[in-house]
Amino acid sequence: MSEIEIEIDGNLVKASQGDSIISIADREGIDVPRFCYHKKLSVAANCRMCLVDVEGIPKAQPACSTPAANGMKINTKNDKAKFAQKAVMEFLLINHPLDCPICDQGGECELQDVAMEYGSDVSKFNLGKRIVPDKGIGALIQTDMTRCIHCTRCVRFGAEVAGIVEMGGTGRGEDVKIEPFLTEGIQSELSGNMIDVCPVGALTSKPFRYEARTWQMNAVQSVARHDLVGSNIFTQSYRGKVKRVVARDNDSINETWISDRDRFSYEGLNHESRALKPKVKIDGQWQETDWQEALQFAVDGIKNNAKNPDQLGVLASKHSSLEEFYLMQKLARKFGTENIDFRLDQSQLSIGSSLESSITLKEIESIDHALIIGSYTRLEQPMINHRIRKAALDGASVNSINSKNFDFNFKTKCDALTSPQKLFSTLQSILKAILLKTKKDIPNDLSKVSPSEIHNAIADDLITSKNGVIVFGEHLNSNPNSLAITNLIAKIALTTNLKIANLTLSGNSHSAEKVNFIPSGKGMNAMSMLNDNSKAFILMDVDCEFDFINSKLASDCFNREDVFVVALSSYDGNASQSNADVILPMASFYESSGTHINFDGLVQSYRASVKSPGDSKPAWKIIKVMADLLDLEGFDYVDSSQVKDEALQSSKAQYSLNEANIQSVDDSQVTTHWQYAPYATDNVTRRAKALQESNIGMIDRAYLSKMTAQKIGLSDDDLYLGVPISIEESVAEDYVFVHTNQARKA
Amino acid sequence: MKKKLKKLVNDFSLGELRTGLKVTSKEFVNKKITVQFPEERTPISPRFRGLHALRRYPNGEERCIACKLCEAVCPANAITIDSEMREDGTRRTTQYDIDLFKCIFCGFCEEACPVDAIVETHIFDYAFESREGSIIDKKSLLEIGDKNESAISKARKEDSKYR
Repeated sequence: MSEIEIEIDGNLVKASQGDSIISIADREGIDVPRFCYHKKLSVAANCRMCLVDVEGIPKAQPACSTPAANGMKINTKNDKAKFAQKAVMEFLLINHPLDCPICDQGGECELQDVAMEYGSDVSKFNLGKRIVPDKGIGALIQTDMTRCIHCTRCVRFGAEVAGIVEMGGTGRGEDVKIEPFLTEGIQSELSGNMIDVCPVGALTSKPFRYEARTWQMNAVQSVARHDLVGSNIFTQSYRGKVKRVVARDNDSINETWISDRDRFSYEGLNHESRALKPKVKIDGQWQETDWQEALQFAVDGIKNNAKNPDQLGVLASKHSSLEEFYLMQKLARKFGTENIDFRLDQSQLSIGSSLESSITLKEIESIDHALIIGSYTRLEQPMINHRIRKAALDGASVNSINSKNFDFNFKTKCDALTSPQKLFSTLQSILKAILLKTKKDIPNDLSKVSPSEIHNAIADDLITSKNGVIVFGEHLNSNPNSLAITNLIAKIALTTNLKIANLTLSGNSHSAEKVNFIPSGKGMNAMSMLNDNSKAFILMDVDCEFDFINSKLASDCFNREDVFVVALSSYDGNASQSNADVILPMASFYESSGTHINFDGLVQSYRASVKSPGDSKPAWKIIKVMADLLDLEGFDYVDSSQVKDEALQSSKAQYSLNEANIQSVDDSQVTTHWQYAPYATDNVTRRAKALQESNIGMIDRAYLSKMTAQKIGLSDDDLYLGVPISIEESVAEDYVFVHTNQARKA
Repeated sequence: MKKKLKKLVNDFSLGELRTGLKVTSKEFVNKKITVQFPEERTPISPRFRGLHALRRYPNGEERCIACKLCEAVCPANAITIDSEMREDGTRRTTQYDIDLFKCIFCGFCEEACPVDAIVETHIFDYAFESREGSIIDKKSLLEIGDKNESAISKARKEDSKYR
């Protein structure tokens, strides 16, 4: 776009043709009051607060919707502009209640700030104010619609960013109301951002309601750890407790949004089941003790039980920090064992995210095609899904190969409904279609495959795409052929020259790979550790009930008489209590310093926002002392940044990518994929009350087709593995998709 | 010489004693200004800032809405408030403590309060028997308010025309 020169408040500035006046003013640091304008949303120009004087135009113009033109002379502060702004402010305050003292937005309210500057101290209006009844919109957002000034930011956010139109303006004139169309409450996984965009106190955080005033809290820059993105956040704490999490702008990571999981999970930190004191189990009885004794008990137990060093197994949650992963594997390796793993929820363990993503978050925005394989990206990786949606809105085509037609918030072109047992052959036929179309040699193993119409269509899109990406996700984890499938995806990507986005492992798994938190040499992986005659385990932040792909196998193993289990845990819930022999209370999210490596490989460190409750200690300190007690050398760290520096020196995990032997799967046998609802993915989130009460938190359904239901003899009101079923058309045959917040029972 | 003679006459006629007795006898019949504290009290201004109290509305509902403006404005950090959503959905305090050792009786809390809930009464003669006694909690603040409501509202009414 051509460059122009305009004059704002007497300063000559350069700008591009078509830039709005308000964006130029923002860039130049000139303050223009506004309510409806938001840099990431479309322009509505309905609050009229940003009226400015443009020379040559008789009436004041809204700065947000007036494009700058060459030679324009703009005045934001002269009498005409001020008069217009003050008049608008007066109108806005006619119906806005003066209840700032009880409003949670008080202190960070845009209306309050602007009213201080542009409002009059005495109102001329002496009639009754408008009152709007509230409709509940769910467990996360509190509404006080009397305070609404109809800026429609929330409406535009829903339509443009979240992709689910849930709020809308009804009525006209005095009767305009912003309200939800449906009564079931907000369904979006990004809904919490409406709280951030709302300039007044109409939409506020429900769990935070009346907890503290905004000026009392201590804000610390931090990083969210629930997904691969590592969204930038501020934690706001009051009297040593995290009271709120809000988004921090970072255009290359999370823009200005964060997912509800990142925003509301903090509630789990203040849960009553937090482990506050070290505990040891003596003769089957739990006894509280002090750190010294508990650590000595743990170390003695490990030494006595694991007579051979390789009888010790070390397992960690994928949400641990880089420092924790590094020290834990160092302890294990110095002790002499290679039995180290974090991939607790994968059935075939030589893969993991062996297939490295070759695209960055920002690049996803500009793709022209995406093929989504085995992933409900919207709920699994909300912020990555948001980027795909942006690309889709820009015209990128999206195809999916899923076992159920998921409710994406963008349009898909072809949806190939494929059960996990048929996924391998589907990908084979797509590969064959690609090879046929590009006139390349067909390898022998593809000779028998015949691509169907939909496979050809998907192949066409892959071939024509210049800048596409193949996204594959968590549904592959439970697939017995996941290794072969991953190899096939790599082949397809190579043939069509497309990029890859691997979303199979969430959380901080990139850190685990960075420090080689997987077995090497003769070491056993998570699954075989449980099968083998391991005698001692160290578990870090692991919930035996939820985290293992085969939770029964895990609990049986840990419950064996001769197995000694040391659990570093933030919670002493029932599951970890019954299985462990020692509980060492560790600091949870936001309570210790650490490092997250995200999808782009970006290393982001954060410091502790609050002190951990009770006697609990940061995990890196616990591991360090344990190593000292085990007489291992090389653990002389003073602070966690030393650990981080050392950890970042280590060389990344190399997976052995063997040519996979394809397991023959019986096509006709019914398979199950147990997918955790987005708010059941980690220990903290599972205990966040409001999230669990939200629509997404209550997801608990087993989806299956009519045929499959008949085959296994289930009807509408039955339960499948304790999960209520839903018989739907859009599910692959011979397959049950369990989407639930319950612990895994399969 | 004359001066010396005058002093001599004055000294021998007990002149100073007579002056003193004159004052005494005058005050003997004049109206007395000594007050018998605590039975009697001196008048104080309606703006006097003494011990704090939390007020209620005439229907018995506590005024305080836990906006924490007094806590924010307090220059001595003497006020500690915790808030919650009461069952009826209103914003209320669960804790309202004032540390009287920290308090400097500046009256800012009174000024900041949007609902006239926290006030400083005319009570200035109070004592604690233990160190912890210096912290008065919500319950006792409300009690003080209940006991002295008539005096509090009277003082506020008297002062209202100057506000």
